[in-house]
Amino acid sequence: MSETAGQSELDDLRGSVRDFLSAKSGEEQVRRVMESETGYDEAVWAQMADQLGLQQLVFPEEHGGYGFGFAELSVVLQEMGRALLPSPFLSSVVLAGSALLAADDAAAAAAHLPGIASGKTIATLAVAGESGSWDPTALPVVGTRADDGWRLGGTTWFVLDGATADLLLVAATTDAGPSLFAVSGTAAGLTRTALRTLDPTRRQARLDLDGVVGTPVGALGGAAPVLDRVLDLAMTALAAEQVGGARACLETSAAYARDRVQFGRPIGSFQAVKHKCADMLVRVQLADAAAQEAAEAAAGLPGRAPLAEAAAVAHAVCSESYLFTAAENIQVHGGIGFTWEHPAHLYFRRAKSSQLLFGGPAGYFGRVLDRAGV
Amino acid sequence: MSTDNGPSAEVLDGMEDFVAEVRAFLEAHATRLPVDDGAVEWGRGEDSIAYFPDDPPDVDERKVTAAREWQKTRYDNGFGWITGPAEYGGRALTSLHDMVYDGLEAEYDVPDTGVLSLIGLGMIGPTILTHGTPEIKRRHLPALYSGRSIACQLFSEPAAGSDLASLETKAVRDGDEWVLTGQKVWTSVARHAQLGMALTRTDPDKPKHRGITAFLVDMSAPGVDVRPLRQMSGGSEFNEVFLDDVRVPDDHRLGEVDGGWTVALTTLMNERASVGGEGAGPAGKAVSVGFLAALMREFGQADDAALRRRLGELHADQAATAYLNRQAVRRMRAGVQPGPEASVSKLMYGQNLTRGAHFAAEVLGPRLAADTGAWGAYSWNELLLATPALRILGGTEEIMKNILAERVLGLPKEPGIDTRTPFRELRRSHQGGTP
Repeated sequence: MSETAGQSELDDLRGSVRDFLSAKSGEEQVRRVMESETGYDEAVWAQMADQLGLQQLVFPEEHGGYGFGFAELSVVLQEMGRALLPSPFLSSVVLAGSALLAADDAAAAAAHLPGIASGKTIATLAVAGESGSWDPTALPVVGTRADDGWRLGGTTWFVLDGATADLLLVAATTDAGPSLFAVSGTAAGLTRTALRTLDPTRRQARLDLDGVVGTPVGALGGAAPVLDRVLDLAMTALAAEQVGGARACLETSAAYARDRVQFGRPIGSFQAVKHKCADMLVRVQLADAAAQEAAEAAAGLPGRAPLAEAAAVAHAVCSESYLFTAAENIQVHGGIGFTWEHPAHLYFRRAKSSQLLFGGPAGYFGRVLDRAGV
Repeated sequence: MSTDNGPSAEVLDGMEDFVAEVRAFLEAHATRLPVDDGAVEWGRGEDSIAYFPDDPPDVDERKVTAAREWQKTRYDNGFGWITGPAEYGGRALTSLHDMVYDGLEAEYDVPDTGVLSLIGLGMIGPTILTHGTPEIKRRHLPALYSGRSIACQLFSEPAAGSDLASLETKAVRDGDEWVLTGQKVWTSVARHAQLGMALTRTDPDKPKHRGITAFLVDMSAPGVDVRPLRQMSGGSEFNEVFLDDVRVPDDHRLGEVDGGWTVALTTLMNERASVGGEGAGPAGKAVSVGFLAALMREFGQADDAALRRRLGELHADQAATAYLNRQAVRRMRAGVQPGPEASVSKLMYGQNLTRGAHFAAEVLGPRLAADTGAWGAYSWNELLLATPALRILGGTEEIMKNILAERVLGLPKEPGIDTRTPFRELRRSHQGGTP
């Protein structure tokens, strides 16, 4: 596929996802869903799979997917970020799906990926303890061998969509080293507590595991490289979402600056406001470039930066840029931007919350240096 | 950064014959440089992080001569003007061929031809090609692209900086000639130039954009006085050019009488985007993550958490800027019209160098303020003192932001009377630039 042909297909994909989301997940729907118990709209989730095939997009055909790559997924995630779609897409498709693919476990993939790809199964990945760190040598859950299999114990935090997922992939310390286990959402001994969240459009949970039955996924002791790979892909995916959100903030600000009149002029004609918008544009373009590089690296396109570098760079630049544009968007709007009714705070909440996923600024700047060999 | 400045494999795709021809030329006329693996050897090489060259006159003269000679060699072998029309000495190929040539030439040790290319070949040549009469094109284009003639741009004035269209240098018609009087400033390469492209005021009773005429001025004509302008970094890269009753024949006019603004826009549009600029030259190398990390090690601060955090922030933006530049090249190759990338790239380029210089200053502490003789320490002042210029030259940051906001985001212009009122009636800074 040539790059130009690819580009027009990507534009088509973007158009259909944008149309779908503006019909099904406009601001009114987002506000309704974010107040709901599960935090996502099951009907819209099913339509995403049945009508657009979004959950299927990146999975291999043998597992019920369409076999596309991160270049396509990135477009979908940008649109989801733009619409602030409340859904378990990041946790189920990106985190759990990537973990199952990276674990190199044919049986586990065959058991779980078709369900994830069809949207029938919602899965997630549980790694962090209360510090939020993804360090595989400091996992908060411990796995022990019992006569009839494995038992898991411990408390894991900040599990995306952890209170509603059907399938939990839990990273645990074992005598063989860090390992990954599949746990049913209804397993005995599992207590799931939804956490209050800064961002109402993305749910997080605490999981208390007390002798919960887990099935190993991938090689015992082999979870560290799997988590590293998942983290690269998760950062790449999150960066795409962040660019979509940041661009929405930029466009909203620019539109408001063109229309809002004070002192007899559109406020966008004042350089103080105009330059703010230009600064936002610069950060969005930079974030877009970083997210694109990471997505194309993940898709395996030649001539791109190594994924490990580009993913860390994208996560850092897109996190900073989204937070900047979300904050400036409120400022451009002035008082109206500080109201609950205006969507600016929803983007601000999403931006700050996203920045703090996967270890936060200390984590991503450290990873950027680590990947540069410093 | 995992980027290099050479052309990527995909850019070279489909250009095998051209690449072979360029290779053969370069092998025959230049020496290949050792491959740069990005490794930092502390303390090796010249202790200099020059951004604006500050050479003594004899060295400067030698470099200009070498630049002219290398440009002539390129021209004689068909690489002097790769995108130019054949009738004026060009090769009639695409800007992609140009890019491929530049990428390959960067692998060889050849003289820096910036003195010719940045202004003359990059901006004034294309302007002459667009607006010159056939006679002007025949006279000047082969001379410029073969290195015989160096051109400078007589645009900015003490009272016309960001607002270039408020320029005051007068041109008054006298038979078949025009008489030019006024002062130009911030003129790069004027000391070496044979040709100047001057913007002048020919009708002060028209609004400012509509009373400007462009001329090609012989820099050796009586009344042209070039004086070096010492900039804050110490060197004299720029000049003031005084025009005192300089006589210019009417057939040296570019474009229509009072139609000079259109001509100027052509020049400004050809101002080479700095796409791909970062990473090249001693300044780009110095602010790279590898070099700055070596600096931290060398001065015993490799584990300083605050510095590491700042280095991470800087490197993330540098890497993203490099991605942006490479993607712009890829899009150009795919025939996609360039978007705002060039302006974004220019803004980021200046910011990244500036942040790099201040980062180094924090690592060095007092060793930057006073010369201890340590290698790679006091020499950072060369870059540090150049960085304020990066926010000004080629369009100030403020003007760049206006352009981005107005052209990309569609924000309204500042309302003003200056585009409708006769130039004569406008309020202006005092001639000479004093407030």
